[in-house]
Amino acid sequence: MNRVAVIGGGMTLFRRRLLETGKELSFLAAKMAMEDSGIEKKDLDMVVMGSAPDAFDGIHMKGENLLDGAAATNKPYVRLFNGGGTGVFAPIAGWWHVASGVADTVLVVCEEKMSSCFPHPQTAFQHIWDPILDRPLHPNLVWLFAMEMNRYMTMHNIKKEDIALVAVKNKRNAVGHPSAQLPDEKITVEDVLNSEIMAWPVQRLDISPPSDGASALILCSEDRAKQYTDDPIFIDGVGWNIDSTMWTNRDLYFPRYVANAAKMAYKMADIHDPKKEIDFAEPYDPFDYKELHHLEGLLLCDKGEAPILTREGVTQRDGKLPVCPSGGLLGVGNPIAATMGQKVCELYWQLSGKAGKRQIPTDPQVGVGQAWGDIMQMGTVIVMRRG
Amino acid sequence: MMTIKSKTEGYPRYAPGTHVSGRDISNKNVTYSWWEPEVQYSWSLGPAYGRFLQELKKGKIIGRSCKKCERVIVPPRMFCEYCYRSTDEWIYLKDTGKVETFSISYLDPNARRIKEPILIGVISIDGASPMHGFMHYFNDMKPEDLKIGMKVKAVWKSEKERTGSITDIKYFKPMNEGDK
Amino acid sequence: MTFYEKQTDPSSPMHWLGDMQADYLYPNGKAGDKLFKHIKENDTFLASKCINCSKIFFPPRLYCEDCFVEILEKDWFEIPSTGKIRLHTIVTINTYGEKLNEPKMIALIDIDNTDGALLGIIKTDNIDENLIGRKVEAVFKSKNQREGTLKDILYFKMR
Repeated sequence: MNRVAVIGGGMTLFRRRLLETGKELSFLAAKMAMEDSGIEKKDLDMVVMGSAPDAFDGIHMKGENLLDGAAATNKPYVRLFNGGGTGVFAPIAGWWHVASGVADTVLVVCEEKMSSCFPHPQTAFQHIWDPILDRPLHPNLVWLFAMEMNRYMTMHNIKKEDIALVAVKNKRNAVGHPSAQLPDEKITVEDVLNSEIMAWPVQRLDISPPSDGASALILCSEDRAKQYTDDPIFIDGVGWNIDSTMWTNRDLYFPRYVANAAKMAYKMADIHDPKKEIDFAEPYDPFDYKELHHLEGLLLCDKGEAPILTREGVTQRDGKLPVCPSGGLLGVGNPIAATMGQKVCELYWQLSGKAGKRQIPTDPQVGVGQAWGDIMQMGTVIVMRRG
Repeated sequence: MMTIKSKTEGYPRYAPGTHVSGRDISNKNVTYSWWEPEVQYSWSLGPAYGRFLQELKKGKIIGRSCKKCERVIVPPRMFCEYCYRSTDEWIYLKDTGKVETFSISYLDPNARRIKEPILIGVISIDGASPMHGFMHYFNDMKPEDLKIGMKVKAVWKSEKERTGSITDIKYFKPMNEGDK
Repeated sequence: MTFYEKQTDPSSPMHWLGDMQADYLYPNGKAGDKLFKHIKENDTFLASKCINCSKIFFPPRLYCEDCFVEILEKDWFEIPSTGKIRLHTIVTINTYGEKLNEPKMIALIDIDNTDGALLGIIKTDNIDENLIGRKVEAVFKSKNQREGTLKDILYFKMR
């Protein structure tokens, strides 16, 4: 198996609605990653596209629509998705291409345009429910997360104040990220607790915003990487796992599928004690409680312990285990698949010391990124390491 | 409408893109196309959901057992996804259960705000395996009285109104001492 | 593995009906917005040219998909709204499969001075004639009725 390096990343602006088409956004992100790494279209062996369900963009077979903006014309190309898990799953697929030896250099592009769907992207989310047993109840997807959050809070007796700390931290971390949609230097726990109730226990500031955007990464083999950089960052572990779709037949308080995916990635990366060996994490945070839920799933703390670490400041950028130094989905925005920008590009920028204002001060060597998708059932995990 | 190319010292060095506000759309500052898909679907129920809905029409909740893992599964399926074998028998369950989780929603399906909250949750059904149940509404209670672990009972539509749908159960209400 | 249970009762429910409720608003994009704003005010088109391979895009694009370079403002220019028919077909039914009052000709038109093409309706007296290679020009709605969409082009007429 070839060792796989990351040598470039790119991200567009994240906003509720962007003028650019999905193709144009893909181009802007891909071009940035290519310029960052010194790679041109002719150097690319293959291209991977990640984009969540077609119903958001409102273009069926989105992959085919986006390919020319992803430098994929006349190249081996695949588009894949597993809902919110896509932002980490697409680079995992890029990793397969290079690790297997079938490609030396691969471009991974992730794109999402959630603004196309009217009256709200939630309208598209209706169509992911079971049409026979769920849809007749006219569900809203926020219900699903509210129910998971409630179960998690109740089982561990967690206070909303402790969960709100995550939203505060991430929106503050996003300050200085040029793509960020909702950075907020001054936000407080009270702001979160006093925000509008959407579906209790979920309040407005507990949720990341729907966004348009794209992100891109250049992956290549270790030998090829040496031609472009003296300081490549490596993908040393990948993992993915899916739980039962019958979510009313399982306990939602712990994401065992994330734990399974994490174990797979840690084993590959030769990590035996993640709590000691991982320097920082970018868990998926579409809701503030999800960061905590996923830290536990990633085995970076015990079950029910994540809120305590957060309260004690361990997960701050200058803490012992910085979490979501990018600003996460809560601060930077949530164009579903394109959150690869926060979950994987950020690992690359942090590990190579390029994160500027967002840089973790403690010279991190190993980072883990994670995404979560489909109906609360998909865990995708990536472990990246310096040198 | 404005193009933002903010520069930072770190990466990403800039973030290309052109923000379009709601006002840009309503004032037609940008050109756009509008599309309303007209599609309809007919989903096959299959034998498991078909029987489940047929029994709901009769005012009964039915599950399906797997003899290997000894689960009683509801909603019923014709195969056990864990043992990866056919399930074995139909088993009638009670129309009572326990609240496993819930939410009090001020959002309608299109994320529009509503004044009267919808009480929604997952009910594990008595007679099925632990944590086995389905999503439904709650009513006949104050939002603040809804608790995880609470015992609830189905409130059915009248026999005449029932059509063979999950909505043949109107909602679940708190279980009283006399309820069976 | 087989299912032991069969559905034998014809009165038992077999299907569940539903639809897809969602509408879509697509901004025309950075390049598209420029083209459609131009069409709203002019009876001509815009094209964009890749400085690397000299390919001229119509509809104009923000980037060249082959060279993967951005096309800058200075490489955009106005072109006449004329072209040649590459392919054509006759349409006799609408989207719902119902018969049209009058059949209409749809053509792929190579736009003059560009490497691009556009789908359009052809107005012709003799719809059965082979028109491949014939010169056509766009007929627009009156300017006060234009909305900045493809529908601002009513049809193409023979030159």
